[in-house]
Amino acid sequence: MKSGRWITRTESSTYLNEAVAIWFRDLRSEFRTRYAINAILMFAVTTLIAVSFSIGSFRIGEAERPFLYAVLLWIILVFSALSGLSRSFVKEEEAGTMDVLRLSARPQAVFLGKLFFNLTLLGALELIIVPAFILLMEYKIAFPGFFAAMTISAGLGLGAGTTIVAAMIAQASARGALFSALSFPLLFPLMITAIKGCERAAVGMDPAGWPEVRIAVAYLIIMIIMSIFLFPLIWEE
Amino acid sequence: MCKYYSSTLLFKDISFELGTGEVLGITGWNGSGKSTLLRIIAGLVRPSAGQVEMSYENEPIPKASRRKFLGMVAPALALYEELTALENMEFFCRVRGMSYDRKHCLNIMARVGLTEHAHKMFRNYSSGMKQRLKLVQALLHEPPLLLLDEPGCNLDSKGMKIVEEITLEQRRSGITVIASNEKREVDYADRVINLSE
Repeated sequence: MKSGRWITRTESSTYLNEAVAIWFRDLRSEFRTRYAINAILMFAVTTLIAVSFSIGSFRIGEAERPFLYAVLLWIILVFSALSGLSRSFVKEEEAGTMDVLRLSARPQAVFLGKLFFNLTLLGALELIIVPAFILLMEYKIAFPGFFAAMTISAGLGLGAGTTIVAAMIAQASARGALFSALSFPLLFPLMITAIKGCERAAVGMDPAGWPEVRIAVAYLIIMIIMSIFLFPLIWEE
Repeated sequence: MCKYYSSTLLFKDISFELGTGEVLGITGWNGSGKSTLLRIIAGLVRPSAGQVEMSYENEPIPKASRRKFLGMVAPALALYEELTALENMEFFCRVRGMSYDRKHCLNIMARVGLTEHAHKMFRNYSSGMKQRLKLVQALLHEPPLLLLDEPGCNLDSKGMKIVEEITLEQRRSGITVIASNEKREVDYADRVINLSE
């Protein structure tokens, strides 16, 4: 196709500007529909209450508490995230807006926008669930700084991992099952690291060098770089 | 170009060249591949063989940049139901790298008769109003290439008149490709490709 006028109103913009536009639009939509946040919080709150009542009735020895509590906390966080984070891409597919987004934004900007949105949801989830878990379970933490760094870094990794899987499964038919099945092996190393890190923070073992936090940050960086290269292949037909 | 879905042939040996001021019509039976051909031009679907090339002064336009130069309206392209019309347009301005110019958006909305409904939720629009807003979305960045898949879908006679005006305006400075079986819409075209033949 040849044309004499190929000037449009589009200006040169950064990936970040486009990603922020997508992030804000997703937030605006979420505030109005509350679809993902309701799914995530309902799962998290009901699981937390069930766990706190059932575990509270057992006598768990002091020695087992740090490990068991870390396992329970991360089971709640990971499965709550799996219950709602796929919505970021799935809702575009279901609403028929995927193609108009493909025609308007660059793939990397779409990925970053969706990642920011999922991280916002995860941040809200952790802000509510982690303090509630600590209070309800009387979770004693020897190194609160290390614990906070662990939950934040592993939360970021969880967001990055689930965002790329959500993009992969958005056009599949059995999305729900596929999202959990594909996410689990991808998130397993992160989950193990986060559990180990939270256990160490609770026990009070010397967190010198913060190895688990460094592993979680490395996981996050690898996941984001890999996703930025992989996402355009998933995004285009 | 040709396109297969699995082993089913949709169309083959489609070849054309378009320049500024030209309007191409694509007709054919249901399922003959009109919408698919438009989606291939837009870069949403890959052809089974062949390719789409765009150039400006003999300089090829990379595939990654093409989205800046085209606007598309199609029944399958939806806008965001939970946003108002103006919020939808704000989003498309920002995501396309344009600074949001409310006046510019309202001007285009006025062209299709939607100014009064700018603050209405898209989900509350009638099907004809939705089609008009899709036209606004496609025209926001003043694209030189306009792809219209059944542009008169759900439109009343006033709406059809708007499509005609848009096509005439586009003819002055850009390229239009219309996929439709409506005689009135195909009549705007200088050339017609019939995919049923």
